[in-house]
Amino acid sequence: MLENVLIYGLINGMVLALLAIGFALTFGISGIANFAHGALYILTGYTVWVFLHTLGTPYLLAIFLAMAITALIGAAIYNVILLRIRGMRSSEIIATFALALAILEAFRFFGFVGAKYTLPTFVEGSVSVAGVIVDYQRLILIGVGAGLVGLLWFFTHYTKTGLAFRAIAQVERTALTLGIDSDRMATLSLAFGAALAALAAIVLLPLGQITVETGLNVLLNALAICILGGLGSVTGIVAASLLLGYAQIITVTYIAPHWLMVVTLVAIFVVLLVKPSGLFGKQKELEERV
Amino acid sequence: MKKKGLLLLTVAILIGSIFAGACAPKPAPPAPPIIIGAPLSTAYVYGWAAHRGMVLAIEEINAKGGVSIGGVMRPFKLEVIDTRDLEPGVPVAEALLAMEKLILEKKADVILGGPLRSEAALAAQDLLTKYKKVSILSAGVLSPAYHAKIAREYDKYKYAFRITSEVIWLSKEATDIFESLRKDYGFDRTFIMVQDVAHARAIGKIMEDGLTKKGFKVLGHEVYPTGAIDYSIGLAKAKAGGAQMLFIWMDHPETGILAKQWYDMKVEALPISGICSAIEQPGAWAGTEGKVNYWFASPCNAGNAPSTATEWTMKFYDAYKARWLIEPEAYGVSSSYMAVYVLADAITRAGSLEADALIAALEKTDMMGIYGRIRFDPKSHQIIPSYDPKEGAVGTWFQWQDGKRVVVWPPTIAMGTIKLPPCLKPVK
Repeated sequence: MLENVLIYGLINGMVLALLAIGFALTFGISGIANFAHGALYILTGYTVWVFLHTLGTPYLLAIFLAMAITALIGAAIYNVILLRIRGMRSSEIIATFALALAILEAFRFFGFVGAKYTLPTFVEGSVSVAGVIVDYQRLILIGVGAGLVGLLWFFTHYTKTGLAFRAIAQVERTALTLGIDSDRMATLSLAFGAALAALAAIVLLPLGQITVETGLNVLLNALAICILGGLGSVTGIVAASLLLGYAQIITVTYIAPHWLMVVTLVAIFVVLLVKPSGLFGKQKELEERV
Repeated sequence: MKKKGLLLLTVAILIGSIFAGACAPKPAPPAPPIIIGAPLSTAYVYGWAAHRGMVLAIEEINAKGGVSIGGVMRPFKLEVIDTRDLEPGVPVAEALLAMEKLILEKKADVILGGPLRSEAALAAQDLLTKYKKVSILSAGVLSPAYHAKIAREYDKYKYAFRITSEVIWLSKEATDIFESLRKDYGFDRTFIMVQDVAHARAIGKIMEDGLTKKGFKVLGHEVYPTGAIDYSIGLAKAKAGGAQMLFIWMDHPETGILAKQWYDMKVEALPISGICSAIEQPGAWAGTEGKVNYWFASPCNAGNAPSTATEWTMKFYDAYKARWLIEPEAYGVSSSYMAVYVLADAITRAGSLEADALIAALEKTDMMGIYGRIRFDPKSHQIIPSYDPKEGAVGTWFQWQDGKRVVVWPPTIAMGTIKLPPCLKPVK
């Protein structure tokens, strides 16, 4: 059973990381908590489904189109809604959450409910890893998760846009004096965050079904991971995801599955008590020290 | 002159017609409708399917002129409010508010359908008492506590009836399937996986105790929170223990993940799921890319999967398909459709919408319906179940076989036989 815990703990951790990384990236750069993150995840799932089953688009093309559409919607969210309320944290949260509800309820209203809404797996079948049978889709998601973390690190350290992202995240006013356009960066951060939500949806939704309710669960998971790892820290997100992923699987294996939700809440409670900025969080860290 | 005369004549005719119209007997005002209030969790299949079942029945009855009350034909009118009670994390109070709104604002004469979550329906029984509203529960709510409460305090809770099954009877059906599999194939090792909700916890416990007493080896019993997205460890435990049968009871859509994981992890055990919304629906085959093959599910009452339980079963099945362009989707469809007909029958016999008269009429209900003979136990107001459709309400368990939902249990209405996955070999 230990092999199962090791392998499925890693998978569970990667699932959580994929769900949270887009949310964390957007917040880290623009300071905007995009509560429509889960809705964008579901929107991608339904968009791919419509391309596949209604329009007959090839799967790969459907994936790219859906990701592009979601990224554009992310950019539009900033320019149409958030630009006017930028810096007003409560208003940003209310606006994005309202948008999330509107998107999700629209799908419900137009009849996107039922067991048929799912996406096909990339590769069918499973393989035995150290005596544990794992399907290829889960192995792919580990690869995508690990690759994404590497790419994000490279992007934020070696590309002009990535460096601009970091500059804005560190001190926005100084970044402005260097000619970095704050609004442009915020637009890009929303688009990137949305694209990452889309990527997570494309990799994870073939494991189950596309349901409206999943949108809010995704948001809750992303929030939990960001609180644990520290908002804005990619390292923190990965560490918190793995920590929580393993904690959940260990609980399921050696205690009982119905304590699963409690594990997350206890972890949040402990972190907020000991280090409110999160395991690797920089936000408010100075205030905490003071 | 001629022109003037013609004009006067025209004016006279017009005035005459107006007076004649005013003095003519007015047509009788249309009879007020009988308002059915339906508190349903419409975002979930059990909610929307129950709604569709009711709409179909109401359209059929209204097309024939409605329901006779004291010689006056009155149509049915359906008022639905979303209780959201099947959604995770939604408090029971939401369902109670919805029900109260149906009674006070929508002026519902009778409550049909839900609430659907057992916890909400149990709390709603006191509202029925408070407002003296008769209710026929037709979807969700499988907890035996519902009818036990009526039997215990009849005078207080006599307003509530349940026209569908409950977990004690369903566990008997499931146990009989297990017995049949042991008799035919020698299987006696099982693993139980249920959702953390009242009816699922109840049947999980009943099955564990019952199967253990009957000599089955229960290898494990796991309770998953609503919304759980990974079942790998439970399946790995079942596989490691050599389980030949899985007993699964979950009403959240994430059961689709479980079906896919069962297939991908090559678990050599026959999945006998009862109430499992993700498996019951016709879309489950496409939704799991056929990985649901060999899975059992019970949409509770006959008529929710194709069978010839009674003469009415396939007529209903086809009518539903024609109306909604989909087969009856899950538990709650045939019973909600039937609830409207049972109500119409009781109102006609009572000749009134007054609660006590309606309760007395419903207690005397004895009609052949979609899923057999419909009668209520006079003490608990629970529908009387049976394996024989001529004697009582018959359940239905189907198995996914090559893209079709084939009813395999009970034998009295079976349309096919149980098939085993190729990886699962009989022991005897």
